Amino acid sequence: MPTLAPLPALVRARVHDWMRRRQGPDVLPVRLERRRLYILPTGAGVAFGMLLFLMLLAGLNYGNSLALFLTFLLAAFALVAMQQCHRNLLGIAVIAAHAPAVFARTTGAVHLTLANPASLARAQVEAAMPELAAVAADLPAHERQQLELPLPAPARGLVRIERLRLATVHPFGLFRAWTWVHTPIEMMVYPRPHGSLPMPAHSGHKTGARPRGGSDADEWLGLRPFRDGDSPRQVDWKAYAREAPLLVKEYRPAGSELRLFDFTQLTDPDTEARLSQLARWVVEAEAHGERYGVALPGVLLPPDRGPEHRHRCLAALAVFGSDDGAGHGGGTGAPG
Amino acid sequence: MAAAPAPPADREALRPLAWACAAFAGGVLLNCDRVPAWTPATALLLIAWRLTTERSGARLPGTVARALLALAVVAVVLWRFHTLNGLAAGTALLMLMSTLKLLETRARRDQLVMVGAGLFLLLAACLDRQSLARLPLYALQAWLCCSALAVVASAGFGARAALQLAGRALLLALPLAVALFLFFPRLPGAFWAIPRGGEALTGLSDSMSPGSIVKLVADYDPAFRVQFAARAPPAEELYWRGPVLHDFDGHTWRRTSGVFHLRQRLQYLGTPYRYRVALEPTRQRWWFALDTPAQSPDTNVLLTYDNQLLGAEPLTEPISFDVLSYTHTRALEPLGAFGRQQDTALPPGANPRSVGLAQTLRQRAGSDADFVQAILDYLRTGGFVYTLTPEALGADAVDDFVFDTRAGFCGHYASAFVTLMRAAHVPARVVTGYLGGEWNPIGGYFVVRQSDAHAWAEVWLEGRGWTRIDPTAVVAPERLRRGVFDLLPDALATRARLLRGSAWLTGLLQRWDAANAWWSDHVVKFDYSAQLDLLGRFGIRSPDVRYLGWAFTLALLGWLAFIAWHIGRSARPAPPDALARAYARLCHKLARIGPPRAPHQGPLSFAATVTTHRPDLKDSVHALLARYAQLRYGPAAPASRAQDIEEFRRAVARLSLSRAVGGRQ
Repeated sequence: MPTLAPLPALVRARVHDWMRRRQGPDVLPVRLERRRLYILPTGAGVAFGMLLFLMLLAGLNYGNSLALFLTFLLAAFALVAMQQCHRNLLGIAVIAAHAPAVFARTTGAVHLTLANPASLARAQVEAAMPELAAVAADLPAHERQQLELPLPAPARGLVRIERLRLATVHPFGLFRAWTWVHTPIEMMVYPRPHGSLPMPAHSGHKTGARPRGGSDADEWLGLRPFRDGDSPRQVDWKAYAREAPLLVKEYRPAGSELRLFDFTQLTDPDTEARLSQLARWVVEAEAHGERYGVALPGVLLPPDRGPEHRHRCLAALAVFGSDDGAGHGGGTGAPG
Repeated sequence: MAAAPAPPADREALRPLAWACAAFAGGVLLNCDRVPAWTPATALLLIAWRLTTERSGARLPGTVARALLALAVVAVVLWRFHTLNGLAAGTALLMLMSTLKLLETRARRDQLVMVGAGLFLLLAACLDRQSLARLPLYALQAWLCCSALAVVASAGFGARAALQLAGRALLLALPLAVALFLFFPRLPGAFWAIPRGGEALTGLSDSMSPGSIVKLVADYDPAFRVQFAARAPPAEELYWRGPVLHDFDGHTWRRTSGVFHLRQRLQYLGTPYRYRVALEPTRQRWWFALDTPAQSPDTNVLLTYDNQLLGAEPLTEPISFDVLSYTHTRALEPLGAFGRQQDTALPPGANPRSVGLAQTLRQRAGSDADFVQAILDYLRTGGFVYTLTPEALGADAVDDFVFDTRAGFCGHYASAFVTLMRAAHVPARVVTGYLGGEWNPIGGYFVVRQSDAHAWAEVWLEGRGWTRIDPTAVVAPERLRRGVFDLLPDALATRARLLRGSAWLTGLLQRWDAANAWWSDHVVKFDYSAQLDLLGRFGIRSPDVRYLGWAFTLALLGWLAFIAWHIGRSARPAPPDALARAYARLCHKLARIGPPRAPHQGPLSFAATVTTHRPDLKDSVHALLARYAQLRYGPAAPASRAQDIEEFRRAVARLSLSRAVGGRQ
């Protein structure tokens, strides 16, 4: 179904590289301009062309005016169809594309927002990710439309989509116009919440890393990026002076009850099973409105609650052990 | 998927198949009168069956069954047509094979094949007949096929949307199609000869039996149109010469084939008539011209010894040619022995009473000319009647006619007259052709119809040569003046009388005929030489194929530019209005002194950003952005709106921002 499907993989890769170099990376919102739209006849279009050639031969052979006129009319019709196909994509704006995080072994989706700023209604605009089935939508004049492109999430980790294809064969299926939008989309796939162990009891047990500092009463939990609403007194100004990002020292208030889900406390030899168990606890704890934290080797997420915290915890579980996970700590030069 | 029975389809899933079937059926119907009736009948039945299967979800035939069916189709076509080459056989084959394709039509590709077959059948119809009357049908079929393409491409289209879309695209395509038609260089000559359809069209044939001409009488179709360069001959001279018949077997007159005589030298008398004949295709070889043509109009056309114009090939396309004719001639040479023998031969023993009568009258007459007059007198006074519904004649057809029935039409009279002449050893022959013609004041031409078909006689008179004698004119002089329709029996004539009765209807018919003539002359016969003529009219001195190429390229580029503009127009976003332009200017100014507005930021959120960044600007900028938000999203105040926007624009223009103050602390 992709336009370049009949080509060998190597050639396809070359063509994509070329397109990417030609267009450069895209920063949304992107308006589909003329120079980034490609158009080729479809299989039906090629067959139509051959039919026209036969008709031309027959018309010339017999010197038959009406047959020739029919041939010319259909040829001109095909050219009109080409223009109409091209303009069906022209001027569409790709407003946003993001993929909400999902759990492993489910199907996520890329939410793609397209806008039609023109007075021309667009029909049958297909959006697809490489090697995945396309989703088609109509875009009425001056309207926005959100498409959900299913994206399977078989295993935990960060699924990264480098580009999206927008294509159309509207209106007559003789031509296919398409474009690639080179915007990286990341979908966080959390470990599948699974496991039957009971949640660890409320505790203030030790964590691996425990640098000194903090007041006597509070237990120092670690550093985390600055968020709106943090007190300036908590900011690690020394680190900021060393040109590090704005960080906040976090303490556990003395005496408050919390749960810390620690990777090292689990005994299952299978890492994935342990992560699944942790994910399940996170989900449950959040559902019960409790404060919880996650401790992984090298990563400590101090107890907190709320959807953002839940995401941070589950994301840490998702990327644990991968390059992205190492990069999470900052330092391996992950892209910004 | 192809072999499994499909679940009963809903309406939308059925739609592409239905449209593909409709496009194909349209093509079949366009061709249904050119192939034996069983072909389109089979195709249409299978289409109907296929649609019902799709609805009920029944199983389609398997691969083996389809292969056997395909073989059977080829065999049947070969058996009925004896060839697969040729338009009729090819069309029949295309119809049946595409119908078989229908049996496996599940995928989109198969449906496209059906639409393609519909287009190809349209082409076959165009190749076969190019009349103006069929043009709307062809246009409809093209429209239908293009709409079917849209529906097959995406099933979501309703009938109305698809028709609209295809109609608009075809209308946009029309100018280029016309330009290509005019300028695409037509290569003269065929590079692949295909035998043309065999069945004869209505019209004169190369034989005449008692009933043959009367069949044409009810046929109102034009046979040809004639435009005289100057004066037209009087109505009684409008004899259009066709096949000359020499051989008689007592029942049927035939042309003599395989005989070649040198043409006699003639002395042409009277006015020369120059004219142009636009002949409809006849699938016969003769070209009709005013009696007597003086020269051949074309190198491929032979002017025979008996003054027929005989083409090399049967006429399958309409043609036009210029001829010169004289209505009176005199032979400068005597009739050769062979010619005399050929044109005095009679079947031995046939029509004894007529032979007796002729010999008696010849003995009484002093000369051949007197004898001709005596026979004509006999016909005039013998109670002969002109009728288009004569009684059937027996074995001695001429005897029965001359002595018993005494009622007949031109064919009977010509046949009897020539028989009587030959019985007295006066050389005579039957000439068939057309008589008269209807003047069309709109086109300035005569239209000669099939109903004007006529037969007369020619007699060899010493000193004068072949002389035209029209025995029908003696019996029914009104035939010459009024045309055959007034003599028709009621059943046949109702339509004709109706048409004649109303002046505006006659006018309408004449206009229609003139339109047909124009169509035939300027569209159907448009060829390479006509293309060069056209270039000449644009002022090109010595037009040749290069100029055609230029004109062709120019037209193509011009049209493409127009189409790109016209089609691209609606895809462009609407231009920003005055308010949007002023807002953009404001944002631009603010971007120079601080962070630019993020795409997702509204005016008030941006105002907050600016204020945190430059508290000194709080009053001026905040007020402006709030004003914009109010103008854009607030309740409409139509009366003063234009003025308000103008004020906003001025305020933005006045705003001057210094860079110096503030900055990051």
